[in-house]
Amino acid sequence: MFGTLSYKKQKSVIIFSFLLVPVALLLLFTYYPAAKLVWFSFTDWDGYSPEKPWVGFDNYREVFSNPDIFGVFTHNFAYFVMGIIQNIVAIYFAVLLNGKLRGRYAFRLLLFLPYIMNGVAVAFMFGYVFDTTQGSLNLLMQSLGLAKLGETSWLGTPGLVNYSLASTGLWRFMGYNMVIYIAALQAIPRDIYEAATIDGANAWQSFWRITLPNMKPVIQLNLFLTVTGALEVFDLPFVLTKGGPAGASQTYVQRVVETAFAFNHYGLASAMSIVLLFFVIIVVGLQQFVLSRGGKGK
Amino acid sequence: MKRKGFLLVFMIVLALTGILTGCSGNKSNSGNSAANNVTANTPEQNTAEQNTTGQNSAEKLSGKVTFLTNRTDMIGKEYDDYVKRFNEKYPDIQIEFEASQTDYNQQIKVRMASGELPDLMFIPDIPNSDLPKYFASLDDLGLSADITFKDFKAYDGKLYGITTGNSTSGIVYNKKAFADAGITEIPKTWDSFLEACEKLKQNGVIPLSSNFKDKWPLGSWVYDMPRVIENNRDFPNTRLNMDAPFTMDNGYGKAMSLIRALNEKGYLEKDINSTNWEQSKKDVANGKMGMYFLGNWVINQVIGVGADTENIGFFPLPFDNSGNLRAAFNPDFFYAVNKNSKNLEATKAFLKWMLEDSGYEDFAGFLSPLEGRESKLAQLAEFQATGVELQEGMPDDLQVIEISNKAQIDLPAIAQEFVLAKDPQTVLDKWNKAWAKAKQDLGY
Repeated sequence: MFGTLSYKKQKSVIIFSFLLVPVALLLLFTYYPAAKLVWFSFTDWDGYSPEKPWVGFDNYREVFSNPDIFGVFTHNFAYFVMGIIQNIVAIYFAVLLNGKLRGRYAFRLLLFLPYIMNGVAVAFMFGYVFDTTQGSLNLLMQSLGLAKLGETSWLGTPGLVNYSLASTGLWRFMGYNMVIYIAALQAIPRDIYEAATIDGANAWQSFWRITLPNMKPVIQLNLFLTVTGALEVFDLPFVLTKGGPAGASQTYVQRVVETAFAFNHYGLASAMSIVLLFFVIIVVGLQQFVLSRGGKGK
Repeated sequence: MKRKGFLLVFMIVLALTGILTGCSGNKSNSGNSAANNVTANTPEQNTAEQNTTGQNSAEKLSGKVTFLTNRTDMIGKEYDDYVKRFNEKYPDIQIEFEASQTDYNQQIKVRMASGELPDLMFIPDIPNSDLPKYFASLDDLGLSADITFKDFKAYDGKLYGITTGNSTSGIVYNKKAFADAGITEIPKTWDSFLEACEKLKQNGVIPLSSNFKDKWPLGSWVYDMPRVIENNRDFPNTRLNMDAPFTMDNGYGKAMSLIRALNEKGYLEKDINSTNWEQSKKDVANGKMGMYFLGNWVINQVIGVGADTENIGFFPLPFDNSGNLRAAFNPDFFYAVNKNSKNLEATKAFLKWMLEDSGYEDFAGFLSPLEGRESKLAQLAEFQATGVELQEGMPDDLQVIEISNKAQIDLPAIAQEFVLAKDPQTVLDKWNKAWAKAKQDLGY
């Protein structure tokens, strides 16, 4: 049957038949719900009743006119700062563990392991670390003689809580970034370094002039992951603080979830999600723009 | 070639949307036809029920009843025993327990939206006007006694939900910790309560475990106390006519000031933003912490982690110095029966049995859902012996819920802010403003 078709046609039949299943799944589980979400964002749906009254742009107006809703984005700033630190540390370990260090595979594994752990389990675990009276962190401080510091309420001080939470994210995702950086490092041809060494470049110079420029696309990727991750944090504050103390660690996504499930405003929550989507697109777009201007040669 | 490929993709997308819309169309159709079948069947079943008297119909009832329960811990244990005892009476009815996920409310709502409700379930937080859309009327259960909270989940004069058990809130305390601190008498006024706290604190015991961080344990302070302090069982609903429902001198301000005072005097955990619920149960059980202010359901949980039954007591919180004791009387989850259930009568028979004969309320530490039954639990008897007046709650007014949701008012969260704020008045002002705005937007 296929023999009568031209080679080109056979090729496209095969391509399309192979693509059919994954594309169908993608449409069904990603684009169909996304389309529904957009539709919900124009309704005043309460989450369960069959009627979904159309309200037009009212939800979007509410999102932009209520300063409370956007205010929580300031809490995400801590995650962004920690994300940058996380990337710097990851590059440091990647360069270190890419060299001829004894036991480097074991170290890589150790640093990568936290990433494999379940997010909620990690959050629970850190609940015990950050506990004020019995937490291991404060007990460690006290045994080191730092009595004052050992009484810090890590999750109970409004300015500090977001950084405490974000540092958990650092611990968890640093290994993941590091693995990506190691892969990028190994793709840099060795002869460039050899040439540089012959020209008399020292280690710092070759890192700054060869390693970093070569890793730029990967750094961009990791920054993208960091920024979107920072905007979408949810599990850590949800498990550890429930947004407390008094809302100081509430994140945007947590607020969306609350709006939808605690206050029964599915429509408004959908609109908030769509706004977040555009927010991510804008931030990432800006980031791409700034970073690609830096490298003139590209 | 390129254009052709684009066309093909377009065709695929079209075909898929066709399938999808077909899917959802079918679903609602099948749901409707099932509903039709059931409504067609029920009149016959009803007449059958009426023709044969009580006992005979009991033997004839058959079918499978599914029950979505939040007590996943009882599946395979107490529930097995219930089924065994139930089947002695109704041998042909099969009971199937479904374990809920952690968020029962949300799960039921999702199943409501998809039209796949179990036969017996608990009512999620939906307005009473929606009850007839999903649930069968329960007026014909034929219970031996009056039920409590009759008007709570009723609509248009019909009953749709019966409470699984009732609770009250008060101080659950460790008797030994009290005795060791030299507290000989249960405090009957707020001042003597503070004295008791001071004695506990001097003795190295954390007087009251608030579990402040987890937010939900503050529920009794903001849902029960205000209406008890106001001595007005409908107080939460009177907010409908107020533009500033949260003031320092009404129930809300007074109730939240109580816990704020406890915190200021250092009678709560050392760092209230770092509390641990599971650990607190053990601490109350072994006397490192003195008290809880929670519903009576917590008694069994404290006993469950190792406290002696005789060592745990329960008394009403004295909120002022008048010596009058009042406490809130609240329903727990409400049972409801799916109106499209295939085995409606069997489900109702099981529900009736659960209410009258299962003994679930004693196991769960509730007061009976039936009027006039005394609890077998020692702590509840002790509670009632103080001469406390139990104030039955009222169902929440729909419009009040609407305003609260619109203003995104979460009372325990407000209490948290109130306690932590330097100036609590600013917190009340903020939420009064949100309330007034929501009220105005909704036009109430």
